This record gives sequence, structure tokens and C-alpha cells, in this order.
Amino acid sequence: MPCLPKILISGLIAGFPCLSPLAACAFEGAADLRNRPCVDCHACNAPTREAPCLRGCPRPHEVAPTPIPATATADIPDFFVLDQLSDLYGPVFFPHKLHADMEGMAQGCAVCHHHNPPGKILGCKECHGGPSNPEHLGQPGLKGAYHRQCLSCHREWSHETDCAVCHQPRENGHIIPVTPEATDIMGRLHPNVKPPGKWVYKTPDMPEGGVVTFHHGEHIQLFGLACVECHRKENCSRCHGGTAPNHRVRTDPHEDCSACHDVSDNCTRCHAQSETAGFEHGRRTGFSLKPYHSERDCAACHVGGKVFGGLSPDCRSCHAPDWMPEAFDHKLTGLELDELHQEASCADCHVAGLGKPVGCAGCHEDGKQYPETLPGKRVGDATAPGK
Amino acid sequence: MKVSRRGFFQVLGLGAAGAVASPDRSDASSPSASLGEGMGMLVDTTECIGCRKCEYACDHAHELTGQPPSAFEDLSILDTPRRMDEDSFTVVNRYPNPDNPEKPISVKIQCMHCLRPACTSACLVGALQVAENGAVVYEAWKCLGCRYCMVACPFGVPTYEYHEPFTPQVRKCTFCHERVTHEGKIPACAEMCPPMALTFGQRSELLELAHKKIADNPERYINHVYGEHEVGGTSWLYLAPREFEELGFLKLGPGALPSLTEPIQHAIFKFGIPPLTLYGLLGAMMWAYRNGDDPPVSHDMEGETNDA
Repeated sequence: MPCLPKILISGLIAGFPCLSPLAACAFEGAADLRNRPCVDCHACNAPTREAPCLRGCPRPHEVAPTPIPATATADIPDFFVLDQLSDLYGPVFFPHKLHADMEGMAQGCAVCHHHNPPGKILGCKECHGGPSNPEHLGQPGLKGAYHRQCLSCHREWSHETDCAVCHQPRENGHIIPVTPEATDIMGRLHPNVKPPGKWVYKTPDMPEGGVVTFHHGEHIQLFGLACVECHRKENCSRCHGGTAPNHRVRTDPHEDCSACHDVSDNCTRCHAQSETAGFEHGRRTGFSLKPYHSERDCAACHVGGKVFGGLSPDCRSCHAPDWMPEAFDHKLTGLELDELHQEASCADCHVAGLGKPVGCAGCHEDGKQYPETLPGKRVGDATAPGK
Repeated sequence: MKVSRRGFFQVLGLGAAGAVASPDRSDASSPSASLGEGMGMLVDTTECIGCRKCEYACDHAHELTGQPPSAFEDLSILDTPRRMDEDSFTVVNRYPNPDNPEKPISVKIQCMHCLRPACTSACLVGALQVAENGAVVYEAWKCLGCRYCMVACPFGVPTYEYHEPFTPQVRKCTFCHERVTHEGKIPACAEMCPPMALTFGQRSELLELAHKKIADNPERYINHVYGEHEVGGTSWLYLAPREFEELGFLKLGPGALPSLTEPIQHAIFKFGIPPLTLYGLLGAMMWAYRNGDDPPVSHDMEGETNDA
């Protein structure tokens, strides 16, 4: 402890700039503090590394926050999962870098990292460690600090103070895991956007039909589109505006749909007399996906991008002859059927569809069950083609 | 003697009732040595987001309606001013903010827990008392149900269980007296408040904090801590960005209301003046009658005398 005597000396004359102790042993960034009186930050006369007796924030003469150069943003943490206080609500997915990128809009990083001493940027919990400290009533606990920081801006933008706006929902007591890929807005990480299910547009001028049903949720869940594939030119204020979210104003009403769909003819494909039901493969194409294809991704069959078509309902257009039901070699799945079961049709056992639990009760009344009783024997590795 | 016996007892009964019902209760509302040294709550209306979680926390802690949190999520009702009732000890109201229309001002209201409450002064039987820590607490078993406290309260806080036929109670915020004194917790509303707009602590320290906040952010707050001086000081203190009259608060003077009423009442009842006066008057009347002056006698008095 070579610097302790110096600290003691400087402590005795507390109030004067303490040059040497800081230079010798204080924390990184101390150089910026050389001209500050010790008592600005330390409450006792003999601070040590182990017991620095730092004053609570904000300190009497606030240390100016360190400006963070724009070039440093590459090192800024991308996101945080705020789960220290998730006993009542699910944790919060906080896109930190998204906010850091916006620092130019306000007064920089110091808007949130207030009272930050020179050197390392401190996170909220460094000062607002836990519940409120009765010794520092003006310094809210971590819960208060989080909520104040977020809501001081967000309640002004979106007027939404519902817990679920930020907090991951809990279902049956379990928290849905937070993944940074959860949603994707503007090509950036963005927490918890709940996509609308469908929009119904009125087009009274169209003689073919005055109602267009846009199944928005279907485009995401079924067709796997990311938000940004359609919302290319969005800006934050459309949702984070002063009023409720607005509908988009389009110069050409077809401009969003026409990016993927051919809208030059066949108006009735979208324009109908009433709301239309969602996409159903059998109704739209005449080829029902049940029972064998209902679990498959669109792209598993419609290979090659966004053009969903061109396939024939003839099985042989996709499947090799030995994959057809009449010639199918069940050995390929790792289970060689015995003679009796080779005679049965696929659906006799695969009552709920392929890849789902099989049922034996249709034939066996003695309670036989798969896999306790096998309809054949196991062979080799299951290397089912097309799987 | 021409006065009927029944008539005499009627007059006597009234006098005795008056004498019994007017005990000198100056101890309940006079300033104690620890005035203002109790606990308090500082409400920073600039931090309040109007989420109504305090309403839920209060409801849950006091088992009022037992509704789930989702029942308190409708924020559209904030714009119509509400008052407390027997099943809600606190409510949040929202007021427009001309300085920033995007940020309306939400104000939580509840019992202010005055340092020298008018309700405890008005209470005939001491059912409302100021506890050691500053909370104005109610003891139902003492309560007569006269509802004088409701009339006396300058903030119009106490409510009454009118629907309860047999055991109606006066209802108001308890400052979570049980939780604070016996369970070592802080009031439920402050514990729940997401942005910690409610700070629970020693009233004197809260006042210090409030004035520091005003000094540090003069553009954020008006220079007025509501409750510091109003009606002699209240345990609940408010900071606001606009004049309090715009936010549903009454403009009240610095004097405690009991300091207006109690000197008069105490002076009247000092040394047993009313009963002595009454009995003196009665004695004078009897003296006068005995000396032969004919009092005006009504016909039914005659009849009653005959019946007796």
C-alpha cells in the first residue's frame, strides 16, 4: 500500500486537489480527476481500494460524463437481457446498441449513463444496485432506475405503459425464452413487436369485389417473411409517434403486394365480395397437403425462392418411384415391416399423418402399441430419403 | 308545581346527554412532541406514468376487491376524475400538461395523513388517531358511524360503507400501518410503483429531498411541495411540474383546521361550563316556579298531570 500515506496526507488537507494519490493508485480514468477535490467523490479521509467510501450518486459536484466517440459504437454491447428483477414479470430484451445508435438524437450516452465518472462506462446496476437505499432516498433502486429511463422517453412516444410492451410474457408461469432474433424491424433488432393477424381493406370502387383481405400474420408465420422484406422504408415515428399507429399511405395501393404478386390481371384473386379465409393449399391449388405433406415447410417442395408454383400434383414429379406408396421400402426409415404389415396401407398405421404417433387400435384390439410392440424389426440407420 | 314529570325528565335527559357527549379530547389532536418527525411519502408526479399499479397493489394488500392485475390495466378511465370509495383507497387521475401534451400528468390521490388531522379532531370517540409514525389510523370497534370525519376532512378522503347494514366502517388509506410497523415493509403502493415515483421515508428527509430536487431541476418542478405547509402539514408530499390547482388539489392555507375549531370548543367546554350553565339555568327556572310565578301551562300538560 505505497500510496496510503499520501492519501492520508491528502485526506488531511481534503478539499485541495490530490494529485499524487490518484496518479499512483486510483482507478482508470483518474487522470481526468487530478484537479478535483477528493471530497467530491470520497466521504472519508482515508479511502482505500478495498474501502473507497464513495459518495452516492449524484455526487455534490457531478463528474461530467465522458463523451463517447462515434467510432466507439462498434464496441457497444448489442443487447442486454434485463432479468435481474424478473420475479413478477418476464425479463426485458433491451436493444442497447439500437439506442446507442440513436444517441445523436438526444444528448448522447449521458442521457442514460448520467453521473458517469471518467473512464469505464458504468451500467445502471453499478449505482442503482438493488432496492432503494434509505441512506440515499434520491437514488432510486434498480427497478425504479430501469423504468424511469425507459418510460421517460417511451411513454411520450407511444403512450404505452403496459408491462407487456417491454416485458416478455409469461405463460403458465414459464417465461418465453428471449432470443435476439425474435423480431426484425428495419433490419435491426427490435423487441417484442406483435404482428397484426390480418388487415381488411375496403375497395368500393372495384366492381369485382369491395373487400381485400390481407392475411398479414400468414405472410410471417406461413410464408416465413421477415418484417423488413416488406417494411423497407419504415421509420420509427410511424409506430413511435405521438398518436396511435397510423396506416401506411401508399401512392399506388398495390405497391406492397406487387413486389411479390402479379397484380396486372386477375383482380378477383384479392378483391372479393367479402372477407376471405386464409391460405389453404388444397383449396388454392387442388392438391391437399393432407395427410403426408402437412408438416413440411413450403420451401421443402417449392425450392428456388419465392415463386410458389410449377409443381405437378402427380407424385412422381417429386418422388422417385421407390418412394411411392405402392413401392415404398419401409426399411429406409429404419424399421423393416413384417409380412403382415407390408400388406397394410400407410394410413392404416399412420392414422394422424406421417411423422406423427402411429395408432395400432384400428386393427389390434388386444391393446398392442408401438413402439412396445414393433410391426417388424429395426434395421440400420434411419436414412429416409426426402426427410 | 305545575311542570309535568315527563317534561322535566326530557329536559334533564338532553342536558345530561350533552354533558356526556362533550368530553375534552384535546390530547387526540393537539400537536405532539414528534409532530412532523414521522414517516412520509414523496410523490413525484413527473415520474408517475399513470399505470395504476399502485391501485392494484393497494387493492391486493388490503384485500379490497380481489381483482386481478388485468382489471387495473384500463387507462382510458384516468381522464375522468375519480375519487376514492370504500373499495379503493387510492386512485390515479390524469390531467393535461400544456407544457407537453404528449406527457400528461398523472396524480395518485389517497389520504394525506395530516400531521394535525381534522378527522381525528372531529371524531367523538377517538376512532381515528395519529399513530406514532404519522399514519392516521382507524379503529372500527370504536367508531360510532357518525361520519363527522367525512365532513371534517379538507381533502374529502374518508368514505363509508353505506351498503353494509350491520357493521359499516369508515374506509380510507391506512398508510399500510400494519405492513410498516409489524411486517417491516414499505407501503404496498410504493413497493409496487414501477418508476418508483413514490418515495417512502422520514418526512423531514423527504422534504429535504423534495427541495433538493426542485433546486436541481428548477425547470422540471414548480417551487412548491404540496403538503409541506397545507393544513399544518401532511405526511404525503407532492412534487409537480404545474400549479397544484390544475392537478385537482385544493388551495389550502397553512393552518391546521383543528387550530381553528378546537380553541372555540375547548374554551366553551373548559371547567365544565356547558353542564354547569345548563344546571344553573334549570335551577333558576325551578327557583322561579317555586316562588309562585305561574308558568304558561298548556292543555295537554294539564291532561298529563291528571293521567299521572
